[in-house]
Amino acid sequence: MSEILEKIAYCVEFGKINQQSPYPPDMKGQLGADELTKEALDTGLAPEDILKKGLVIGMERIGIKFRENKVFVPQVLMSAKAMSTAIEHLKPFFQSGDVKRSGIFIIGTVAGDLHDIGKNLVSMMVEGNGWEVVDLGTDVSADKFVNAIKDNPGSHVGLSALLTTTMINMEHILKEVKAASPETRVLIGGAPVSEDFKNKIGADFYSPDPQGAVEYLNSLVA
Amino acid sequence: MTKKQKFDRLLNGMDLETAKLFRPILMHFAARFSQKTYREFASDYRVLVECNIKAMEYFDTDLVGLISDPYRETSAFGAKVSFPDEAVPKCEEIIVKSLEDAKALKNPDLYKEERTRDRIEGAKYFAKRLKGDIPVIGWIEGPLAEACDLAGVGEMLMQMMIDPDFANILMDKCVVTAKEFARLQILEGCDIIGMGDAICSQIDIGTYDAFVKERQKEIIDYVHECGGKVKLHICGDISHLLASIKDLGMDILDLDWQVDMDIAHDVIGPDVIRCGNIDPVLIQNSSSEQLEIMTGETIKKEMGRKHIISGGCEITVNTPIENLMAIRKSSN
Ligand code: B12
Repeated sequence: MSEILEKIAYCVEFGKINQQSPYPPDMKGQLGADELTKEALDTGLAPEDILKKGLVIGMERIGIKFRENKVFVPQVLMSAKAMSTAIEHLKPFFQSGDVKRSGIFIIGTVAGDLHDIGKNLVSMMVEGNGWEVVDLGTDVSADKFVNAIKDNPGSHVGLSALLTTTMINMEHILKEVKAASPETRVLIGGAPVSEDFKNKIGADFYSPDPQGAVEYLNSLVA
Repeated sequence: MTKKQKFDRLLNGMDLETAKLFRPILMHFAARFSQKTYREFASDYRVLVECNIKAMEYFDTDLVGLISDPYRETSAFGAKVSFPDEAVPKCEEIIVKSLEDAKALKNPDLYKEERTRDRIEGAKYFAKRLKGDIPVIGWIEGPLAEACDLAGVGEMLMQMMIDPDFANILMDKCVVTAKEFARLQILEGCDIIGMGDAICSQIDIGTYDAFVKERQKEIIDYVHECGGKVKLHICGDISHLLASIKDLGMDILDLDWQVDMDIAHDVIGPDVIRCGNIDPVLIQNSSSEQLEIMTGETIKKEMGRKHIISGGCEITVNTPIENLMAIRKSSN
């Protein structure tokens, strides 16, 4: 991997957004994901390489550390922020078609539920791994999911729920989504959700962490 | 012996082999049990208190509480809160969006603001109804929880990394209001102040030590000065924080199901009452026979230690009545 791509991956892994950001303290004053991504583009590196061999690698590393409880939510949020700042530079290439995203992923926390930390982490991690993400927010009804799928043909859907009272809403949303678009894969997650529950309601995939969602989505386009 | 006396004996390390106190966190469940909506429960102190008392009498719980939702203080600070019929009140806006907002934020007059006054009135009403025989747990939001409610969770967690000034200014204001809210609830008769700081389970110990620990300690010390006891509630897995939490001086520590009670006992020490920790999802979904076994196991482990039997967090609204009863019966 070229040195600058490794540096970009490192900035994402450790949440170094830009030169100005004081975080992490031991990288104070150094260039961040923001400047390095711009520099990489200026030196002629392919945007696709910057995404897949720089940003994605950084997100993957932090995802694994989070799964292993080596870092916590603030660190992952910082990584995601570094990644999304860098992605801004790549957006024109997504629009022009120079960089192909792996697909579109629609995500939301189900109706009645306001917890969004986990959903946001999944959303950021999936985006950081080269997918376009449509985040519908919290308290999302079946209708909203169905409309978003209509607007984004070929997309897949992630449902998040943190309450035992709202996870049951997943079943209804799943039915509506499948009725409107049988080929859409539905991934579910959130603390009370389990593999058993997934089987019971007939969702396509369950993962206890964002990394699992990324791996599953990537397997769909491999 | 009154329940208050029973609690005092537990505090003093007495009857640890014979008496087992029971305090499930009851909110939506208590409302439903009294055929009240959650809206009524969260917006009218009389309903909240009566629902608590009815559940206390039926399930023979040893303490009652004023907990309802995280947005009492947030509303007093000026955020709009809505009340769905059958869900927790919803905070409709983030009111602290910049360092300037944090600096300009005014600590509210808690007697004047409707939602905080309602809880203070609840403390008074409990005192009137229970005549001091049953320990009443008031409730405040911990400093990080409140800052997250005001600034948004994701934003606040990142501000601690990027802009410590913002985080410190905002949290200092949250501490001022937390202390005042605690003082007023004690003044009206609460014996214990519960402090909820759930979001702490999601942060690393370095961040916890840098931003939260001293502030929680300041609040705990102040509640003690006011004559109250403190119950610290951080749901989720706090195994990684126990080494710091042990210095806070709380009287009761709630522990969620992910935490190993033995390890917590070793780290926190024998003086703190640990409260927990059956998984609320299992309390909802298991049979009463299974719950009797789980309760029995917890009690056997906790024999001779300061402990209150409880779920790891709130009893869910759909928990069958017989399941909660099974825990009470098998802890006698
Ligand atoms: C922070 C928090 C809150 C905050 C939420 C702030 C926010 N903006 O999100 C506030 C204070 C607002 C809150 C409110 C309430 N909460 Co709350 N809350 C929590 C807490 C402490 C952490 C949740 C969290 O963010 N975890 C961190 C994230 C990273 O984990 P996660 O969401 O599970 O996500 C991970 C995975 O599950 C997975 N994942 C998540 N979604 C998806 C989706 C897909 C597709 C995939 C593949 C994977 C995936 O990836 C994520 C990263 O690893 C938990 C306790 C706990 N530790 O679990 C309680 C908890 C979730 N809350 C609980 C309760 C009861 C409530 C309230 C009802 C309390 C009340 N009466 O006021 C209200 C409900 C409000 C509502 N209508 O939604 C209970 C739920 C019990 C239950 N199972 O029913 C919990 C479990 C506490 C407990 N032990 O009882 N809460």
